[in-house]
Amino acid sequence: MHLTALLWVCMQAALVVAWCFTDMETGPGAGVSTQPNGDRFKIEGRAIVPGIKTQDWVSTARILVEGEEYVGFVRTDGSFAVNDVPSGSYVVEVVTPNYRFEPVRVDITSKGKMRARLVNYIKTSEVIRQPYPLQIRASGPHTYFMKRETWGWTDFLMNPMVMMMVLPLLIIVLLPKVVNTNDPEMRKEMEQSMNMLNPNPELPDVSELMTKLFSGSKGSSKAGGSSKGTRPAVKRR
Amino acid sequence: MAKLILLCLKFIILSSAVEAVFEDQVGKFDWRQEYVGKVRFSHFDTHVQSSKKVLLATENNVFAALNTRTGELFWRHVDKTGPEGNIDALLQHGQDVVLVVGNGRLLRSWEINVGGLNWEIVLDSGSFQSACLVGQQDNVKHVAVLKKTVISFHYLSNGHQKWIENLPESETVDYQSVYSDGNGEVYALGIVPHSHIAIVAYSVEDGEIIKQVTMIHTAWLSNIQASCVVISQGMLTCVDPLTVSLYMLDLHTESQMTQIPLQSLGLEVAPGFHPVLVSTQPNPGRQPLSEFFLQLGPDYYQLLQLNNGQIVTLRDFKPVRNNFSTLYEYLFSSLQASSLNLFSAETGRRLLDTTLIFNMDPYGGKPEKLHVQAFLKKDDSVGYRVMVQTEDHTLTFIQQPGRVMWTREEALSDVVTMEMVDLPLTGTQAELEGEFGKKADGLMSMVLKRLSSQLILLQAWIAHLWKLFYDARKPRSQVKNEVTIENLSRDEFNLQKMMVMVTASGKLFGIDSKTGSILWRHYLDNIPSNAAFKLMVQRTTAHFPHPPQCTLLIKDKDTGLATLHVFNPIFGKKSHVSPPALPQPILQSLMLPLMDQDYAKVLLLVDDQYKVSAFPSTKNVLQQLQEMASSIFFYLVDSTQGRLSGYRLRTDLSTELIWEVVIPAEVQKIVSVKGKRPNEHVHSQGRVMGDRSVLYKYLNPNLLAVVTESTDLHQERSFVGILLIDGVTGRIIHEAVQRKARGPVHVVHSENWVVYEYWSTKSRRNEFSVIELYEGMELYNSTVFSSLDRPHAPQVLQQSYIFPSYISTLEATLTEKGITSRHLLIGLPSGGILSLPKMFLDPRRPEIVSEQSREENLIPYAPELLIRTEWFINYNQTVSRVRGIYTAPSGLESTCLVVAYGLDIYQTRVYPSKQFDVLKDDYDYMLISSVLFALFFATMISKRLAEVKLLNRAWR
Repeated sequence: MHLTALLWVCMQAALVVAWCFTDMETGPGAGVSTQPNGDRFKIEGRAIVPGIKTQDWVSTARILVEGEEYVGFVRTDGSFAVNDVPSGSYVVEVVTPNYRFEPVRVDITSKGKMRARLVNYIKTSEVIRQPYPLQIRASGPHTYFMKRETWGWTDFLMNPMVMMMVLPLLIIVLLPKVVNTNDPEMRKEMEQSMNMLNPNPELPDVSELMTKLFSGSKGSSKAGGSSKGTRPAVKRR
Repeated sequence: MAKLILLCLKFIILSSAVEAVFEDQVGKFDWRQEYVGKVRFSHFDTHVQSSKKVLLATENNVFAALNTRTGELFWRHVDKTGPEGNIDALLQHGQDVVLVVGNGRLLRSWEINVGGLNWEIVLDSGSFQSACLVGQQDNVKHVAVLKKTVISFHYLSNGHQKWIENLPESETVDYQSVYSDGNGEVYALGIVPHSHIAIVAYSVEDGEIIKQVTMIHTAWLSNIQASCVVISQGMLTCVDPLTVSLYMLDLHTESQMTQIPLQSLGLEVAPGFHPVLVSTQPNPGRQPLSEFFLQLGPDYYQLLQLNNGQIVTLRDFKPVRNNFSTLYEYLFSSLQASSLNLFSAETGRRLLDTTLIFNMDPYGGKPEKLHVQAFLKKDDSVGYRVMVQTEDHTLTFIQQPGRVMWTREEALSDVVTMEMVDLPLTGTQAELEGEFGKKADGLMSMVLKRLSSQLILLQAWIAHLWKLFYDARKPRSQVKNEVTIENLSRDEFNLQKMMVMVTASGKLFGIDSKTGSILWRHYLDNIPSNAAFKLMVQRTTAHFPHPPQCTLLIKDKDTGLATLHVFNPIFGKKSHVSPPALPQPILQSLMLPLMDQDYAKVLLLVDDQYKVSAFPSTKNVLQQLQEMASSIFFYLVDSTQGRLSGYRLRTDLSTELIWEVVIPAEVQKIVSVKGKRPNEHVHSQGRVMGDRSVLYKYLNPNLLAVVTESTDLHQERSFVGILLIDGVTGRIIHEAVQRKARGPVHVVHSENWVVYEYWSTKSRRNEFSVIELYEGMELYNSTVFSSLDRPHAPQVLQQSYIFPSYISTLEATLTEKGITSRHLLIGLPSGGILSLPKMFLDPRRPEIVSEQSREENLIPYAPELLIRTEWFINYNQTVSRVRGIYTAPSGLESTCLVVAYGLDIYQTRVYPSKQFDVLKDDYDYMLISSVLFALFFATMISKRLAEVKLLNRAWR
């Protein structure tokens, strides 16, 4: 109910557009019922898996027309034909367990005229032409599996939290070595800059930040642990 | 556009939360078995000496190549079901196999090494009679196809038609067989029943009629294929059961038909037996052998030879149980049911060292057909292997002197119904369970019992450790953990179960769900061909020492007469409990939650007189039934008259009609009626809304979903209807009609929702629709649900979606307590099984996202449901022609066991809400322990450093 109401508007809009482009006797919206004694036609085409020899996949491939209503098989060269199909509009799919093919809609008029177009289940009468005889190219192997979340040192080190901790640590450890701290001028300068850096005493202390981080990410423990030992020493100076 | 992107993003976010298979889980807890069905034609590939292929064409319209060493499939081609995919004939030449398909509609040639199609052509309409390969000497280039009115001739290389000719007088003459022996002529053999034989010879080159013969005085002949063969140099030989004589006619010289009374050969036909002739033509380009068989009785064969126009008897084979199989100049016979011998055709002498003994499975059927593969050994003697096909569709491949190389249970290609039964507890487990069962034992004995059970556990643990240690010393190849019926026991999470499968052929199987190995099989003979089966578990394994008990109801669809087969589902043995005889046709069967004193659930059977009989029907049961009768209701469906009726049981086991709903059968027909599964649990009674109020579910256990389809199939007027009826009161809770829609309709009915799928004829697509029922913000009676006391009609919400594929079957996951979110399992024609979260089929999905809907985690409405291959629970292990999906809860709340069956059987586990109750199998023990150790050392070091620092400061 919901769906039909929603779709009706776009359908009507699309129908008008589609009518202009159709060159067929039976419009796609009209549909064709199957006559038992009507003419039977053949849907032909070729399935291609780029980079793979046809022998390696044809034995597992099937051509399904409207579910399993009509079934065809792939020849050793990758071409296929589905025989004995009455006129109508059908979704043709190449089904293999390993490769992904896009389905194609094939319209057959009562006189046997064929055309192929993209499958669009929402705007069912939209016509985007596809070549006929069908040329269906596999768009790659099926992705059936999720990737496991693996744990590696690089992931750990490139973590922004870890970066944020390791860099200041390096500065704290290395800076006193580079700058002579005994120089009183330099000391004054440093104190000034320190005050500038930490103007608000209510801001959380570095150690608090550390503990928060520590409880947040289990991986960051090592850095946190080692920094604990060194930090107070620097501050005292 | 922005909205669309937002939607896509939402999908991506959501989909990442949905479970999928990881690559390293392949084959860990899932397995697939591929089948082909009952074999109709088989052909060993002999064109290469070392070939390991046997080609099979089956009654399930499957053409496959098997590996003769292992019994596994090389490849398999599954055609359409029904008569249009029916394989009429199989002819092999070299590496090509020609199949006639669909009553002579299609001619297909397959390349057997790759398994690809060479060519396929459409033949003219007309019912197929016979086909043969035509060649000259060893050069086979053509195939001839005989139909009712025409004979056509095709090139083997590309299928092109060489010529086609109308058969003369085809209105009167019934052409039945086509024959060629490589002399440039093709013979079409036909008869006018009870009058004469007509033989037409065509030239291979251009289809010109070379000669035409009609033989009169063959009034006794009614069927050429049944009573005539061609032997030697084109001698048509027929057998007449009335005059008990052979008639011979030379096809080339068309001389007079000669009559040879069997008495003159010293032969006698068993009374009432229609004699049968068997001949063999090893090469289509050469003449058939001059030796042939005459079957004179059910177990009596005679080997005859045509020698210079004279028939000589060579040897009699009596008693012979099974068919003969002939191959080249050797003949095979299976004598005395279980041994097979090789005979020379020319002399009829038995060859030495060619006996093959096979032991028949006592729970299987009788042998039906033998398929023999002969080969030359290195020392130029003849060796052979045989594939035995039995009545229960089993294929057994046996090598000399009787070693079974493999067995294929092809009956499993047609599973009708199944159940999963818990495995029994082991002795120790039962002991532990027993501790909790009894009460009032006194403190001391309880303590003692506790201690003793702990001791038992310790003992078992030590034994387990010892076994591990012992196995570790042995090389890996020797350690086998084979599951046998003896060491079956329940695992700690009850993930391993016994799958009891019922097949259409009447063979029952017990399969271990963990490995897929068949633990027991039982063939029920005299099953009617159109039987309907219903399998019920009457007693589970929980009631030790009473054995578990399953009951199979077998009902003949034509007569309605039913029989019961009661068996133990763990061992497959027939139970000692004798089921009642059911003289009346059975209309309905129902399992009651009542149990007798032996803990067997009561099965009620309603016959066509609306009388009810109970099984088991002990005094205890009858007494319970009398007490409960007023609250036992059941319904009957008569789909031909469109009548649904509800009944109540009376205390004297008769019934009274309570309600009746008639759906006019001329407008619509009832397609299916679905209730809820009795073992289903619903954890939460309502849904918490965004504003913290609760929307209560309408959980009516008696609700039935009735699906109807219109009888008018015109695409403008066809419709699908769904009725929700209370099974006790007959009250129609809800009715919905989907206009411009038709079946097949697939329905799932569970909790407070019904999901159904139909074909929309207007938009030519499949659509899903979901109906959810809610009581509202308040519950009428929160403690117990009664159909008789529910004054308020439920609120009904419905929403529909587009589904971009056809579906074959539909089922919902099921878990122990119903806490885990539900998924729909959808079997697709491509063979994939899609696990679609139920949250996508939620009628409360909003069109416009609001704060509240976000709070509730509702996905914004999108008309199309997506099929993501990551959601395929069976990755590339496709299940052909999936017909049913069975779901069962396991001991773990997060885990649902799934079995999909069709042509193949696939078993796996699904975790709809991920594995929240056990550690995942990718849990990183290394990481957690290394972090722990690192932390430990870091604290040690920093402690030491701090000490040093303090000391230094003190010194300063």
